[in-house]
Amino acid sequence: MRIKRRRQSVRDNLANPIDTAYLPSEPIAELSSELSANDKMLREAFQGCSDIVFRPIHTSPKLLLIYTDGLVDTKTLEKVVLKPILHEGHSSGSNSIPITRDIIQEQLVAVSQIQTVPTIDDVIDGILKANIGLLIDGENKAIIAELKGFERRAVEEPAAEVSVRGPRDGFTETLRINTSLIRRRIRSPRLKMESVTLGRVSQTDIAIVYIEGIVSRTVLDEVRNRIGRIQMDGVLESGFIEEFIEDAPWSPFPQIQNTERPDVVCASLLEGKVAIIIDNTPFVMIAPMTFWTGLQAVEDYYERSIYTTFIRFVRYSLFNIALMLPSLYVALSTFHQQLIPTNLLISIANSREGVPFPTFVEALLMEFMFEGLREAGIRMPKAVGSAVSIVGALVIGQSAVQAGIVSAPVVIVVAMTGIASFAIPRYNFGTAYRLLRFPMLILAGMFGLYGIVSGIFLMIIHLNGLRSFGVPYMSPVVSPVPHNLKDIFVRAPRWMMTKRPPFSSTTNVRRIPEGQQPSPKKGEEGQ
Amino acid sequence: MNKKRAGCIGCMISLLFISGCWDSSEVNDIAIELAWGIDDAPNQKIKISAQAIVPSKIDGGQNVSSSQSGKGKPYFVITSNGVNTLDAVQQMQTKLSRKIFRGHRRVIVIGESMARRGIKEIFDTYSRDPNLKLRTDVFIIKNDTAKKFLQISYPLENVPGIGVLGEYDQIGTASKEMGLLNFLLAAASDSACPALPVVAIGMNPDVPDEEGRQDPAKSDNEGFRIAGSAIFNKELKLVGYLNVEEGRSMRWVSGNLRKLTVSETLPQGKGNVSMDIIKTKSRIHSVYQGGRLKIFVTLTGRGAIRENNTNLDLTNTKNISYLEKALNNHIEEVVTQTIIRVQKDYGTDVFGFSDAIRRKDLSLWKSIENDWGEEFQRAGIAVKAKMTVRRIGVTGPSLQLNPKEIKK
Repeated sequence: MRIKRRRQSVRDNLANPIDTAYLPSEPIAELSSELSANDKMLREAFQGCSDIVFRPIHTSPKLLLIYTDGLVDTKTLEKVVLKPILHEGHSSGSNSIPITRDIIQEQLVAVSQIQTVPTIDDVIDGILKANIGLLIDGENKAIIAELKGFERRAVEEPAAEVSVRGPRDGFTETLRINTSLIRRRIRSPRLKMESVTLGRVSQTDIAIVYIEGIVSRTVLDEVRNRIGRIQMDGVLESGFIEEFIEDAPWSPFPQIQNTERPDVVCASLLEGKVAIIIDNTPFVMIAPMTFWTGLQAVEDYYERSIYTTFIRFVRYSLFNIALMLPSLYVALSTFHQQLIPTNLLISIANSREGVPFPTFVEALLMEFMFEGLREAGIRMPKAVGSAVSIVGALVIGQSAVQAGIVSAPVVIVVAMTGIASFAIPRYNFGTAYRLLRFPMLILAGMFGLYGIVSGIFLMIIHLNGLRSFGVPYMSPVVSPVPHNLKDIFVRAPRWMMTKRPPFSSTTNVRRIPEGQQPSPKKGEEGQ
Repeated sequence: MNKKRAGCIGCMISLLFISGCWDSSEVNDIAIELAWGIDDAPNQKIKISAQAIVPSKIDGGQNVSSSQSGKGKPYFVITSNGVNTLDAVQQMQTKLSRKIFRGHRRVIVIGESMARRGIKEIFDTYSRDPNLKLRTDVFIIKNDTAKKFLQISYPLENVPGIGVLGEYDQIGTASKEMGLLNFLLAAASDSACPALPVVAIGMNPDVPDEEGRQDPAKSDNEGFRIAGSAIFNKELKLVGYLNVEEGRSMRWVSGNLRKLTVSETLPQGKGNVSMDIIKTKSRIHSVYQGGRLKIFVTLTGRGAIRENNTNLDLTNTKNISYLEKALNNHIEEVVTQTIIRVQKDYGTDVFGFSDAIRRKDLSLWKSIENDWGEEFQRAGIAVKAKMTVRRIGVTGPSLQLNPKEIKK
């Protein structure tokens, strides 16, 4: 408790100076009806901001147009705001009808979203959020009209989550595009998108998305609660928020899923989960996450269930390999040589002749180098990337063995581990395993199989204690009910999965009606 | 409080580093021993020989450079004397740069003189030591020492000790690598006596060809063969041998045979026939009749005719039952002879009759338990064989025969 309180105060201390620097001295400053006074206040606030454009328009009464250059679609601005005011306004001005706020709002500015605001702060806020601000002499209210026109990336296939079968669109950096991708899939008024602004400086838009009636209320309340507690200066990526709202910050396992795919988000929403979309990042967070979602790929639900069941078996085997193969090799070959088949032991002994390092050091070294190779491959510019892989393959794969510095079995083990770790479908879940491989290796090097078993026990204990937004991390395996296991070790056909996962609402459990198994008899009945 | 916690964590981490690792040994710090020999030595000592592999001389792997270092034998044999096994091992360790690793032992061979001296006193460590596995086969070396056996090379295997396992498997034993365990079970039983397979050095002693006769030393120096079974008495002393054929019969009766091939020359068919038998089974039951025990052995098996050097057309079922009858007669004769020979010559129950009787008829067993040895020797034996031919191969009559010669 004491630590928590101290952390809070530190956070406040850090945040406060920024606050005073940013916010105007009076938090709420009403607009005055004098245009020149408003003009002065706004220019003061935007001092040094070269991208803010002040455009006075000398009609009667005088107008002041303010917008952020680059965020506003200037062509449309000319067409729908400037032209009507300057030309039609003049012509009507010759008839000496004064331009009033109402006329502008209702007749002149042909923009769909328009509102009037009474304070300077609202004006500043609106301008920074890609709106135009229109101030009118003699009015103590300003017009804020939406004219967003900043550069946005097109909807592309997500690079990190590729699938052979399934939709190819992925989220972009723009919140509105992302919400539209979801809305297009779930056309129901029950799909709710609560908007929150977070970050005292960055003022980032965040949407909490859920389906009313399916979502688990406790999870939703928890998400709202935790997001509401966050105090930070800027939110640049979903990771910023994830670290504030996850349950166990020191666990290697991610407790919030992230994805770039709208179909994944929609499937999760239909299961009763909550999605958190953050502006300026294509990664959408989904809570709660369970251990098993970390091992499910999106395509599991698009391919046929038999194949998926087989692939899941392969995947579960591979993730065990990714975690334990190097440590098993070290444990068996340095502690329990009896357990290795005789011929294998002989060939291991043969290849270890003349190798200078102990097996443990060898394995640690190679694992370390493999992680380095992987990291270099990701960060390098694409042109250099191929060079990295060539050097890596040659140096580690061939030369090291030929020079007798490492033995061939270790290289094979490390390579197999590498392949296996890439077979974990969710990237951030795979990182947990890549991380845990090293403690396991050290335990194996010190205690042999005993160490591995203790390591696995510790891991299982930790996993069983873990919760994500109140949902046990290992659910539904922790308290197995047969129908809940239809999507864990196997993937049952869709017509068999009639109920939603147990952590979602208790009121709306049934997902589809029973008895939809296709059969020729049913076809005949239909005819 | 934080300092305390940091201290605790620090202590725990340092605990990790001060313990552990003492059991670890690198693969290239151990001498992997695959075959183990026990011999008689003067002064009631025993002589232990070990066949350890030389990893760098084993083929395969990345060791291309081994050809430069001179390709020698991929194994070597070391020998030491001692009061018991562990004493000898300690002596042996003085000659080895690497720790001898016994966890991969596949074969234990015992020299004939040691076997005749009795192995009751030296066999404790082979079941006590946790590093040793019970899945080891034990062999007796006929007319020679275990050391000699370990030194000879075998053309098919890198490590010759493994070769004997393969040979043993090929003769159709049902319990590969269960030799030590079965031996211990039989030795611990009240009345049954253990039998172990026998290995003789030299590959072609009974097939004398020109070369073999000219250079007997050479042909004898390479390879070895399974040469039947060795019979032990209750003191675990070697009392005698059975030849290969008799050994097979013995294994069949005791239920330790997986497959065999029976060949028989037909009395009037002017030819011979061979049958591969699988699914061999034996049933033993017994009655006490007229003051002596009578043991009935029923042998069953199913198989295929694989060679038919007669003019019989096997598509005719009459011919098949004729063959079955002839084979049954042959089997009954061979097995009966074997049992009688063991009864008369050695008087030890290596067939597991006593266990079978005890399982089937406890009251009978209770009555004869005390003088089982004598009862066994006096027991009347009746063997009944029931072979079933399931397949005859791809042709009925032999194809090289003129259709006129074929007997329907």
